[in-house]
Amino acid sequence: MEVQLIKIEKRNDVSRSIYFLTPVLAIFLTLFGGGIIFFILGFNPIEALKFFFITPISDLYGLSELLIKATPLCLIAIGLSFCFKSNNWNIGAEGQLIFGGVVGGGVALLFYNHDGFYVLPIIILSGAIGGMLFAMIPAILKTYFNTNEILVSLMLVYVAKLLLDYLVVGPWSNPEGFNFPETRQFSESARMPILFDGLRIHAGIFITLITVFLSWLILYKTYLGFQIKVSGFSLKTAKYAGFKGKTMIIIVFMISGACAGLAGVGEITGPIGQLHRNISPDYGFTAIIVAFLGRLNPVGIIFASLIVALTYLGAETAQIFLQVPKYTGQVFQGMILFFLLGSDYLLFFKIKFLGLKKNEL
Amino acid sequence: MNTKLKVSEISKIYPGCIANDKVSLEFGSGKIYALLGENGAGKSTLVKILSGVVKPDEGKVFLNDESIKLNSPLDAKKNNIGMVFQHFNLFETLSVFENLSIDSDKKDEDLRVLVNDILKKYNFKIDLDVPVLNLSAGQKQKVEIIRCLIRNPKVLIMDEPTSVLTEQETDDLFVSLKQFSKDGILIIYITHKLKEVLSLCDEVAVMRKGKVVSVSNTIDEKIESLANKMVGENLNTIKKKINNFKNSEEILKISNLNFKSDDPYETNLNNLNLSLKKGECLGIAGISGNGQNELFQILSGEIITEDTSIMFRNKEIGKLNPRERREYLMAFSPEDRISQAAVPELKIYENVALNNFKSSNFFEKGLVNEKKIKEHSKKILSNFSVNTDNVELKSQFLSGGNLQKLIIGRELITSPELLVCFNPTWGLDVGAINYIHETLIQINEQGKSSILISTDNDELLKLSDRICVIYKGKLSKIMSADTVNAEKLGILMGGGSID
Repeated sequence: MEVQLIKIEKRNDVSRSIYFLTPVLAIFLTLFGGGIIFFILGFNPIEALKFFFITPISDLYGLSELLIKATPLCLIAIGLSFCFKSNNWNIGAEGQLIFGGVVGGGVALLFYNHDGFYVLPIIILSGAIGGMLFAMIPAILKTYFNTNEILVSLMLVYVAKLLLDYLVVGPWSNPEGFNFPETRQFSESARMPILFDGLRIHAGIFITLITVFLSWLILYKTYLGFQIKVSGFSLKTAKYAGFKGKTMIIIVFMISGACAGLAGVGEITGPIGQLHRNISPDYGFTAIIVAFLGRLNPVGIIFASLIVALTYLGAETAQIFLQVPKYTGQVFQGMILFFLLGSDYLLFFKIKFLGLKKNEL
Repeated sequence: MNTKLKVSEISKIYPGCIANDKVSLEFGSGKIYALLGENGAGKSTLVKILSGVVKPDEGKVFLNDESIKLNSPLDAKKNNIGMVFQHFNLFETLSVFENLSIDSDKKDEDLRVLVNDILKKYNFKIDLDVPVLNLSAGQKQKVEIIRCLIRNPKVLIMDEPTSVLTEQETDDLFVSLKQFSKDGILIIYITHKLKEVLSLCDEVAVMRKGKVVSVSNTIDEKIESLANKMVGENLNTIKKKINNFKNSEEILKISNLNFKSDDPYETNLNNLNLSLKKGECLGIAGISGNGQNELFQILSGEIITEDTSIMFRNKEIGKLNPRERREYLMAFSPEDRISQAAVPELKIYENVALNNFKSSNFFEKGLVNEKKIKEHSKKILSNFSVNTDNVELKSQFLSGGNLQKLIIGRELITSPELLVCFNPTWGLDVGAINYIHETLIQINEQGKSSILISTDNDELLKLSDRICVIYKGKLSKIMSADTVNAEKLGILMGGGSID
């Protein structure tokens, strides 16, 4: 039997422009792949894709919804970029989001009868601190007990989910709520201000934009950012340069957790207005895709969050107009990641065909 | 069963280095052959060719007068050539027996009978059903050997087998190897340890710089004669003027320093003592893997030790990290320039910023002072004749020599009192080597001290004022460089002793 010999070689130089263009390529491949799926399901692919990606944002309300979805995604992904850039694999942003939401929500309930400008900032701050503390668990276990942060942070997601479940069913459930698993509606002063009448877009978007700017500043202009960058390339070099590795791991997890916590508190004080079981449609997991699609770059992440947010909206529209399940959105998110990783592989490696060879096995 | 193995005119050229230069050797069963040489002498390449991992550019291998093709490790197995590598290829979490059955085509029951026979015959004591991770290094090696024996090898190649063994385990191994040899297996034993050659082997082939320089019976050899052949008598290099530093100020003192590692592939350091005077260059010779890596990291602060074990300019620095040590004017140039001393993906000025400490002002109040770093980088590029003036260039575009100049420049531009460098000219071309050597001589002339850890004896003899040898984590007596020659170094490097 003759077999084709294949050799995979690392490419030495990858141009910067192509590096930032491959995510765009991945998006086009996703559209193409999605088109094929719709075709197989018996839809006109162009029409279906139009329902998925154009219809949802063809009016102001749709655009506002897009921003509402993109806000938490962008915020979490920015935080994750600190971890991922320094080779720390925080997979548990969903848990940090929920825990931030729980702490922020708890404070909001505490201030249930209070009015005043100070209420909202306190809630937001406590949400951020909640997420931050929750993210410190995998960080501390990693630095002092050599645990694997991927496993610990992932498992803590379920801890946070069950805690939220317990609270909204039990001690925090609305006394006038006929035993529905939800808390009271938060008071007006605990809610994010709405920016435009009739639209749901709220002030949380400014928190995200400020965070993006601060992250850019930290990553590219500070000593901490430099340490993160070097550690991401080579831990040996970081050690040789005398960076305090343990402290840095804890700091990046704190930043990441705080961002996820902010996203959680933004959801419950924004569009949701109370705590219930499903305060996040897996934003914390989807943000991992956003972070990589945006090349861990603050500006890239803004664009990536808008595109991925569109898959959430598109899935809802498609469910209404095409009667396909809304999980189609996750299929698209999966395809984006798949094509991104695939094109990245071909970007960094080249495949050489060495010709046919007799197989002697 | 008589086996004859012959390699004829084998050549293998890698870019920039001739690993094997028309190597011809003959081996016959019943004897144990030593292949002796320093790092980079070409032993490993030859062994890789015999085990099918590397294809030679030229030359042939004959087994019992028949030319054989060794295109893959599979071919080597088919020709009954067995190989035990220095690093074990075992699945730690699988049991011994599972490890053996993975690449065997025998039925499990038959294999177990066969393995038990082997265990009995050679008096190996290994429980077949415990996971490999519970075994000692010596036992793991036995598993590797059993894996070869299952296949009835005609030839058994051992690549530096004793580097991970204790002395007792080494003795046991030698007993077994002699037994294999009696049973007609041809044994090729790769090593740089002279004593082992004399106590175990019948014939010895010495390799140097890709060539076979001598083949002889071990009864005709002594440690000195082998050492000479191994390192070569290359004494007519220009030497630095050796100074006497008896009355100079002591700058570094290491006393009773011990290091014990959890990693079996790392070397433990035992009771190191050394001192260094201002303006002096101390050379530390040795064959790689004898503790140089660990010693470098202890000096640089990547491994921290007892506070009192290292005194630098009368301060205890054992617990300081590299950044804090730089503050006291120490500088470090590691062996691995591509994955440790610099990051190829980063720009030149970013790599310069790695040598950062409070007084460098590269970072002020936590912010990057890009202007300062770039100015500094420009100065390094011109002072140390790196062939670019573009500080924005990614370091991966620099040649090895230029990258090393950048690293040495980065370390020296802060006028440190002590530079520790580890194989600074490894893999460089002659021009770059000369430049680095001149620079290192210059800093001594300026009254700055240096520690040169190197596996290149010529370099050590050229640059050092005093020299010692590290062997199995222990330092030899420190000798004045003018009383040392390559032969003496060779003996000490191979574990021998001199008066």
